[in-house]
Amino acid sequence: MSLDEILFALLAGTSLVTAVLALLAREIVHTIMWIAILFVSLGLIYFLLEAPFLGVLQLAVYAGAVTILLLFAIMVVKKRIFSREAVTGIGITSVLLSVATALLLAGNALSLPYNAAGRTYPTPILSQSLFLDFGAWVIILGFVVLSALVGAVYLAKESRGRPIRAEGE
Amino acid sequence: MVDYFWYAFLVPLSTAIGFVVLGLGGTFFKKGGGFIAVIAEGAALVFGVFFAYQESLSSTLYHDTSFVWFALPDGTSFVMGTLVSPLGALMLLVVNIVGFLVVLYSMEYMAHEEGLPRYFAEMMLFLTAMNGLVLADNYLEFILMWELVGLCSYLLIGFFWKKPEAASAAKKAFLVTRVGDVLLFVGVFIFFTSLGGIVNPSITTSPYPGQVCSSAGINWACAGFTFAPPNADSNVVFLSANSVASVTAQDPNLMTLAGLLILGGAAGKSAQFPLHTWLPDAMEGPTTVSALIHAATMVAAGVFLLAITSIYIGFTPTAALVVLAIGGFTSLFAGTMGLVARDIKRVIAYSTMSQLGYMVMAVGAASLVAIGPGAAMFHLFTHAFFKALLFLSAGSIIHALGTQDLFAMGGLLRKMPVTGYTMLIGALALSGIPPFSGFFSKDGLLSLTWTAAQHYPGALVFFLMALVGVLLTALYIFRLWFLAFSGTEARESSAHPAHEPSWVMRAPLVTLAGLTLVAGFLPLLSGFSHLLPGVQWGAFGYASSGSGFTFSQTDLFLGLASLGLALTGLLTAYALWGNGRVFRLADESPLKGLHTVLVRKYYFDEAYDGLAHGGVLGIARAFDWFDRYVIDGTVHAFEDLFRIASERGRRIQTGLVSSYVSWVVFGLIVLVFFFLYALPYLTSAWGGG
Amino acid sequence: MIPLDELVLFSGLLFSLGIFGVLTRRNFIMLLISIEIMMNSAILNFIAFAAYSPAGNSLLEVSGQGIAVVLIGLAATEVALGLAIVLALNRIIGSVDVADAMQLKL
Repeated sequence: MSLDEILFALLAGTSLVTAVLALLAREIVHTIMWIAILFVSLGLIYFLLEAPFLGVLQLAVYAGAVTILLLFAIMVVKKRIFSREAVTGIGITSVLLSVATALLLAGNALSLPYNAAGRTYPTPILSQSLFLDFGAWVIILGFVVLSALVGAVYLAKESRGRPIRAEGE
Repeated sequence: MVDYFWYAFLVPLSTAIGFVVLGLGGTFFKKGGGFIAVIAEGAALVFGVFFAYQESLSSTLYHDTSFVWFALPDGTSFVMGTLVSPLGALMLLVVNIVGFLVVLYSMEYMAHEEGLPRYFAEMMLFLTAMNGLVLADNYLEFILMWELVGLCSYLLIGFFWKKPEAASAAKKAFLVTRVGDVLLFVGVFIFFTSLGGIVNPSITTSPYPGQVCSSAGINWACAGFTFAPPNADSNVVFLSANSVASVTAQDPNLMTLAGLLILGGAAGKSAQFPLHTWLPDAMEGPTTVSALIHAATMVAAGVFLLAITSIYIGFTPTAALVVLAIGGFTSLFAGTMGLVARDIKRVIAYSTMSQLGYMVMAVGAASLVAIGPGAAMFHLFTHAFFKALLFLSAGSIIHALGTQDLFAMGGLLRKMPVTGYTMLIGALALSGIPPFSGFFSKDGLLSLTWTAAQHYPGALVFFLMALVGVLLTALYIFRLWFLAFSGTEARESSAHPAHEPSWVMRAPLVTLAGLTLVAGFLPLLSGFSHLLPGVQWGAFGYASSGSGFTFSQTDLFLGLASLGLALTGLLTAYALWGNGRVFRLADESPLKGLHTVLVRKYYFDEAYDGLAHGGVLGIARAFDWFDRYVIDGTVHAFEDLFRIASERGRRIQTGLVSSYVSWVVFGLIVLVFFFLYALPYLTSAWGGG
Repeated sequence: MIPLDELVLFSGLLFSLGIFGVLTRRNFIMLLISIEIMMNSAILNFIAFAAYSPAGNSLLEVSGQGIAVVLIGLAATEVALGLAIVLALNRIIGSVDVADAMQLKL
């Protein structure tokens, strides 16, 4: 068992455990903490897979931006943990469905035919590919991000018009 | 001469123009545009007499099928054709002569009524339809016109629509004749389906040179106009030589049924038992309408229908016997009711029913002995004149007195001599006293029926009924005449003193009286006898036309018997009601019960009401139940199904995002399972690529 | 090099955990977090397969990583949009519990 595999086992175990903890946490702020650890360990896995650019991206975008954004949202909402839904929300159906998905995907994973020899790419090749082969994708992504953010700003803004009719009001 | 007949459509066209002009602009003319009606009908009269004259010269069929109404994919086409036949020509004479005189008479008789343009327009429409009916060349066209005359009858009976009696009488006439019309429809459908397909392909040429048969379903002209002698072996006696070949293969029972259904239609129109109840009530209409429609023409259309059916298609012996029976029975049955009626018009209406019964009987008898229905048609011809005369005379009395109650009249002969004597002529003709026309025609058909009764003994009963009817005819019509005209004073003083009408009304009376006198002798003209196929004359008439019936002692005896019966009736009437006497049954008389039955018209109205209430209402309730619980129930069951399903189904929509996600995940699992495991397994199992 | 089947197994388990979160959590923010976990497992899959892709075609060689880059961008956008929805929802119905947002119910 190589060092890579030992490290991967550790990181994967950490990820799964933190994911479970994040989902079961009572306090939503704790969830954010666990999820931040999950994102970091995933980024480390990307480094292990010799995709350093993606690892950095993961750390910056997920462990950094997304986590902060979630914290910010919690702060704005000013709602503490919603105790009535802590563990009681786990029904038999959801457990069954999750386990079924897990079994299905695991079964698939263990029966994958693949060539054992892995390959690595230098980051410059990825960058070339991104701006040559994936140029159109990146530009479209830019527009999508732009329009989504405009929409987000619009949604987050205090509406002066008539609010949508809702039962909660 | 065939070229002349191409213009036969001018007869209905004249009155059709009159109808359009009066119907659209009648209110713009003085006196409701009566003079326009007279001009239009006068034109129709001229054309009608001309074509009848041409037909009497040639006595061939003119047949024009150039106008195709509609065609079916199988090649059958329905034409609005023109058929000028001897019978049709005779009817043209009847319709237009009576029609012209009645329209002329209407100008004064109806002058003070409200809605005069409507009256004249409807009369024009009626005459158009009636002329179209006698010129129709197939059943479909005939039925179209038949319904039109029925409509006009309805409209004109209900002319005084503000009177509830008139409105309900119009409805009654319409509904009762509708029963007959439905039967007629079914009968014609049977002919279409069973004969139409056979007659058409096999008969490609008409028996008359120069005429080509179209492929119209039942085409009268193509069915031929020759008479086959009765065949002892055959179950079906068909009069047409052409049709014998093609229809003897038919099911005789089906043909009997079709004949009876046709008889049902004729019975509805001609007010024969048991569909007779509408005709007395129809007297609520104006007297002129009664004279034209309910005495001379429309009610005779039923007899005309039977006559043409007997010529072109034929009745089976059973059907012919039933026709004879219905006619013979009605002639007596109606006469008994006429004996007790108080309303002058109703007496004449019962007389009409009775006389139509004679004609129907004669058609049946002619079919039984397989000769043409000329005797019936001749009686139709003479009857039209003297019956229209009786009605118009009655109208003259009503016009003068304002009442229709016979017992309120009396002593009118001095004040209204013209009316009185013309009516006397009509009454004598109706009773069958020579030399008036009714004698000859009635003698002819009685003699014919006697001949038929010798071949078919069952007919003898109805022949005897008809003979008794002769006695009753004389009795009730002279009861009417004596009650109205004899004596010195009216039994009830009327609002206005009796007076003779003006010449506009007198002229038709005198003309009709003249026609009544001469009509009996018309067959002496050889041309006219062409219009009466297979006519057979009695003792005082003329040699029969080629059917083997010759002058015999029997005929002489029959003629004398009927004359004796008529005279007996006349003298009895004089004894009971003559000279201002009024005979009433004493209350304790044993005949009082019979009298009540007759006055209540054998309780037919009550029976039909009961039938309607019990039978029709029961059926209606059954249908209502069926509609409510079976049809609506099915609909409601579907409704409930979808309502319950949607009520259950909407519970899937919890609104909870988790549940939606559950379904999405479930679908995802199914898809992944299918594509990862099931599909590869299936493709390998089925040996696919 | 880490074996591919272990990577795919790991990402599958992570994905199932994400589904578990989506199914059980009723807090809208928790839903978002669960969805992010699922997204991450998918991105991990792309990167793992990119490490085992056949050589030759330059586009194919790095397509896994390229798609992963695009996906990370999309995921960030999605989080931003989702959090804006959270704010709007909080403002409108005064709660971020999906059980309180029942307008989808008939």
